[in-house]
Amino acid sequence: MKNSSFLGKYAHALAAALLLAVVTSLLAGCSKKAAESEGIKIGVVMPTTGREGKPGTYQKEGIELAIRQINDAGGLQVGNRKLPLKEIFYDDGSDSAKSAQLTERAMSSDGVTAVIGGYSTALGEAESVMPDRYQTPWITPGAAASSIFAHGYQYAFGTLTPINLLGSTTAEFLGSLVDQGKLKKGLKIAMALENTDHGVDYGNGIERWLNQHPGYFKVVFSEKFDLGGTDFSGLLQKVKQAKADIFLSDAHLQDYITMQRQYIQSGMHHQMISYGARGPEADARKALGDGVDYIFAGIWWSDKLPYPQVQKFAADYQAFTGRKVDSWYAATAYEAVRALAAAIQAAGSLDKTAIRDQLRKLEMKDSLVPGQVLKFGPNGQVGYAFVMVQNKPDNKVDIVYPKDAATGEVIAPTPVSK
Amino acid sequence: MTFIDFLNLLIAALLLAGIYAVMSVGMTVIYGVMKIVNLAHAGFMMTGAYFAYEVYERLHLDPILAALLAFGFFFLVGIAVHWLLVRWLPPSDRPTLQSLLLMFGLWLVLQNIGYLIWGNTDRSILTPRTLDLVHLGPITISSLRLVVFVAAVGCMALLEVALSRTWFGRSVRALIQNRYAGRIVGVDTEKTARLTFGLGIAFAGVAGALLATLFSFDPDFGRPFLLRAFVIIVLGGLESVSGVALGALILALVETFSILLVPAEYQPAISFGLLVVVLVVLPGGIASLWAKRRRLA
Repeated sequence: MKNSSFLGKYAHALAAALLLAVVTSLLAGCSKKAAESEGIKIGVVMPTTGREGKPGTYQKEGIELAIRQINDAGGLQVGNRKLPLKEIFYDDGSDSAKSAQLTERAMSSDGVTAVIGGYSTALGEAESVMPDRYQTPWITPGAAASSIFAHGYQYAFGTLTPINLLGSTTAEFLGSLVDQGKLKKGLKIAMALENTDHGVDYGNGIERWLNQHPGYFKVVFSEKFDLGGTDFSGLLQKVKQAKADIFLSDAHLQDYITMQRQYIQSGMHHQMISYGARGPEADARKALGDGVDYIFAGIWWSDKLPYPQVQKFAADYQAFTGRKVDSWYAATAYEAVRALAAAIQAAGSLDKTAIRDQLRKLEMKDSLVPGQVLKFGPNGQVGYAFVMVQNKPDNKVDIVYPKDAATGEVIAPTPVSK
Repeated sequence: MTFIDFLNLLIAALLLAGIYAVMSVGMTVIYGVMKIVNLAHAGFMMTGAYFAYEVYERLHLDPILAALLAFGFFFLVGIAVHWLLVRWLPPSDRPTLQSLLLMFGLWLVLQNIGYLIWGNTDRSILTPRTLDLVHLGPITISSLRLVVFVAAVGCMALLEVALSRTWFGRSVRALIQNRYAGRIVGVDTEKTARLTFGLGIAFAGVAGALLATLFSFDPDFGRPFLLRAFVIIVLGGLESVSGVALGALILALVETFSILLVPAEYQPAISFGLLVVVLVVLPGGIASLWAKRRRLA
């Protein structure tokens, strides 16, 4: 009785506090809307908390750096006015449902001109249904599964090259090692792929290249695993039993760290090993030390690309955030804003369909991406080449493929650790 | 599969079972005595992981030693949480909505405190032992997993001794069997509940600290382990410590060996399929089989 009366005593106070919080946030929302009436409103829907919080934060930083630079230069020329970009940020907490809901809110009630959002395939897929519904351009800098762009959407764009191209470039890179005599022809490949569109696309890309180039390699094992696994010993045992020469996995960062740790702890070794787009991340190096040496990865961007604009971006990013650019996340987000800005200026108005049309025609020739040209394909997704990097001892990461961008020689086959 | 492969897998399953047991036992003792489903267990595991990380980074102490320190620290945290929040819950013979909501809310609060302090960056503990291997002929074992297993089994053994040889243990067992009968024979229910809650949280902290040596972690750490802990305590019987050890062993064996027969993507389905089967066929868990046998004898 004493306990229930205690709760009852505070129930009214709690209810009053909640009501006050709701009213305050509503008032804050109203004043915010009034303040944002000038300028071009860009919705940014990214995860800065939850599972994808870290890469989402990097992407947000890339977006904000681009917005800052555009505004510092006086804003965008729209007709006869110069307008600044105004970011409206939404944290989706790495939750697909929330991501879709926030994108809808940005496009419907918050009246943004365009949305940049969707780090990771799952969140990008959830958001991708909204752009055509509200006829608002949407650019994802962090979702690359081709399934997102296979629905014929007219307002959806992506600055990441499709994952199946990552698979085929990985196989092409391995093929080039056979041509150079570093690997033997006919080696056996074991694949462990995350059970997402990302993983499926990666596997399909590899299989497609192998079918087009018979005799180079043979897939002897291919299986999927669930995201966020806690134990991969059974799966790795199956990989071991397959007696393959090359181990190719496709995993997100946490799974990459867990799986590679268990891989080493199982005493396994392959001539070449890759975790798809993961490999050179500082977190992995911190977690596994020299246990990540010789892992190669296909990535969308590297700060070692030999273009002046890349060096400038890396320096600007460091000045903006106080940190070195860790991976590709910020670069593709930065390019998404630049592409959108170029399309708005070319459209000469804030008409969303006109902006969409200009995005389709866009050809950005001073881009940060490999090949320096950013151009959206007919399905809305870009198609530039991946660069292959390899971790080396003493915290070194080299671009090893394509040859014209290489900063070091590939080490293949990987040496057996002592 | 060769015999050596089989042995390697069996050892991997046993090592995994040790971890599973220590992460589940805290939930079991709290449920047994207080009938509270401690959803905040994952939050305390997460803070245990960060405790080991901070001790290792700042004091340069071995993470296994940090796990032992975590026991004392989280015991006190548990006592404090009980005094501040849990003791206000109305006593009940079965889980109540209030206790579920309180524990769920506490988990969210812990998670958000984690984000405030450590951000969403993945952390991990890399020691010279992290990638070391022990070779026993053709069998390869991770030395860190072995150490973690020994620490986990040691904790379980100490708990078993405490429960069977001390007055506190007898009080706990009495309350697990029948709260009201325990009170009639003079068990101080309030004090026993407070100490048990502290003990349960201490085990969550130790489990988190041990897991931190094996996995990278962020403030969301603990969620997948919490789901497995549910499977284990349902398998072992909701109120039996030795049942938990057996449940952990069964889950680890099923997870490790089933993957050889079915694709890895179905691994979670197998674990939770097992949970459904046990709930339908053996709602009291494996411990209920022993009780039944004792009754028949």
